[in-house]
Amino acid sequence: MENALLIGLSRQMAMARDMATIANNIANVNTTAFKSETMMFEQYLKTDASELSPDKRITFVQDVGQYRNMRDGALQTTGNPFDVAITGEGFFRIETANGVRYTRNGNFYLNNEGQLVTSAGDFVLTDAGAPIAFARDETGITIARDGTISTDQGRRGRLAIVTFGNPQDMKKTGDSLFETAQQEVPAQNIRLVQGALEGSNVNPILEMTNMIEVTRSYASAQKLIDQADQMRRQAIQQLGTPAA
Amino acid sequence: MQSLSIAATGMMAQQLNVEVISNNIANMSTSGFKRQRAEFQDLLYQNLRRVGTNSSDAGTIVPAGVQVGLGVKTAAVNRIMTQGNLDNTENKLDIAIQGRGYFRVELPSGEDAYTRAGSFQISADGQLVTADGYTLAPGINIPPEAIDVTISRDGQVQVTLQGETASQVVGQIELATFANDAGLDPLGNNLFTETTASGAPTIGTPANDGVGSVLQGFLETSNVNAVSEITTLITAQRAYEMNAKVITASDEMMSVTTNIK
Repeated sequence: MENALLIGLSRQMAMARDMATIANNIANVNTTAFKSETMMFEQYLKTDASELSPDKRITFVQDVGQYRNMRDGALQTTGNPFDVAITGEGFFRIETANGVRYTRNGNFYLNNEGQLVTSAGDFVLTDAGAPIAFARDETGITIARDGTISTDQGRRGRLAIVTFGNPQDMKKTGDSLFETAQQEVPAQNIRLVQGALEGSNVNPILEMTNMIEVTRSYASAQKLIDQADQMRRQAIQQLGTPAA
Repeated sequence: MQSLSIAATGMMAQQLNVEVISNNIANMSTSGFKRQRAEFQDLLYQNLRRVGTNSSDAGTIVPAGVQVGLGVKTAAVNRIMTQGNLDNTENKLDIAIQGRGYFRVELPSGEDAYTRAGSFQISADGQLVTADGYTLAPGINIPPEAIDVTISRDGQVQVTLQGETASQVVGQIELATFANDAGLDPLGNNLFTETTASGAPTIGTPANDGVGSVLQGFLETSNVNAVSEITTLITAQRAYEMNAKVITASDEMMSVTTNIK
C-alpha cells in the first residue's frame, strides 16, 4: 500500500531534479560555449516485500546520469581579436590555481603584463604548456585556423587544443571550465575562428517542451499519490467502522 | 524548488545584458565610445552522483554522473576595442586616433586620465583642452596670433603665425598605450583611468612602435553597430521571457505539492 506513495514520491523527486537541469539550461541560453544537459532515468527494480507473490514487482524511478549534448553552439562574431571560437572538437587548456582545466569558452583578454588570460585571469596555455605573453609594441595579433598565434613580429606560438576519449566523463566546475582525469590527446582537425565566440547550444524549443512535460508528469505523479491516499482513507473508514 | 532560484539567476543575467545593450545604443553617437559586451558563465554544480566513482566492487565506474547546475553568472562586461569609423569634421582641432593609444589629459585633481575622444578646443590661455576644459598632457600652447594649426600623422603640432611664411613647431602630441585596454576604469565623460588590471601606461609617439597615428580634422565615431545591438537585444529579451516561464512552471509544480492533503 505504501509502495504507491513511495513510487510517486520517487518520481516527483526525480522530476524536481530534472526541472533544475532544465532551468539551468534555460538560464544559460546566452552563456558562451555552454553545453546543454539532459537527465537520464532508469527504473530501480525491487521485488515486493511479500515472498508469496513473486510476480509482483515494483519499480522506483532513479536519475542515473546526465547526457551532455556536445554539439557546437552557433558562432557569434564579436570583432574582439582575443575572442576565439573552436568549431568541431577540442578544448583550450587553462592553468588555474587548482590545476589544469579545460574550456571551450574562448573569451580571452590580455592582463596587465600582456599575457593571454581568461575572464577569471587564468592563463591560456600554448602547446608548449606555457602561458603566452605579448610585448607592448606588438600589433596585429592573429590567431590562425590551427591555433598558431602570430603578430607583426612573427610567429609567437600555438594554442593547445586537446580532445578526450569520452567528453561525457568530464566534470563541469562552473565558470565554463571542465575537469577530467582522462588522458588528453592533441586535437587533429583544429578549426579556430578569431573574433568570434561559440554560443550556447541550448535549444530553447526543446527545453520549453521538456519543461511542460515535466510540469505535467509532476502533477500526474501527484494525482497518483492523492488517489493512493484516498484509497487508504476509505480502507480505514470502512474497515474501522465496527459492524452494527 | 531549485529551479526557481536558477531561473532567477537567468533573469538577472539577461536584465544586465539588456542594460549593457541599452548603454551601447544610447552611446551610438558618442565619439570615441567603445561598445561593451556582457559575458556569461555557468555557476557552480552540485554533484548528486559523481562521475567516475566506482559503481561496484569489481571496479566498474559511473560513466556519466548527475550534476545539477545552479544557474548563470556574469563573468565580465568587456569593452570591445575595435576601431570606430573616422568622421570628417573639418575642424582643425578634432584629432582621431587610428590604431592603439589614448590621449593623456590632466584632471583638475592633478591625476591623469585617458581618452580617445579627440575633440579639442583652445582655452582662454591658449592651451589645448578637452570639451570639459581638461588640459591635454603634455601641454600644447597655441599662440593667439596663429592663423593655422597643422597636426602631422606622428603628432607634431605646427602653427603658422600672422605675417610669417614658415610654420613653427609648438608641441608634440603623445599617446599612451596599455597592455590590457579592457582593464581601464571608465570615469564617464569619455575618460578612463589606469588600474592594476590595465597595467601602467607606456607613453609613445604616434605612428611609432605599434602606437596608432593621429588624424587632424577627423573624430573617431563610436564602434557600436546598430544591427548587432538590436539582434542581441532580441535574444536577451527572449531569454528573459523563457526564464520567467521556468519560474511560472516551477511555481505550478509547487502549487501542486501544496495541494496534497
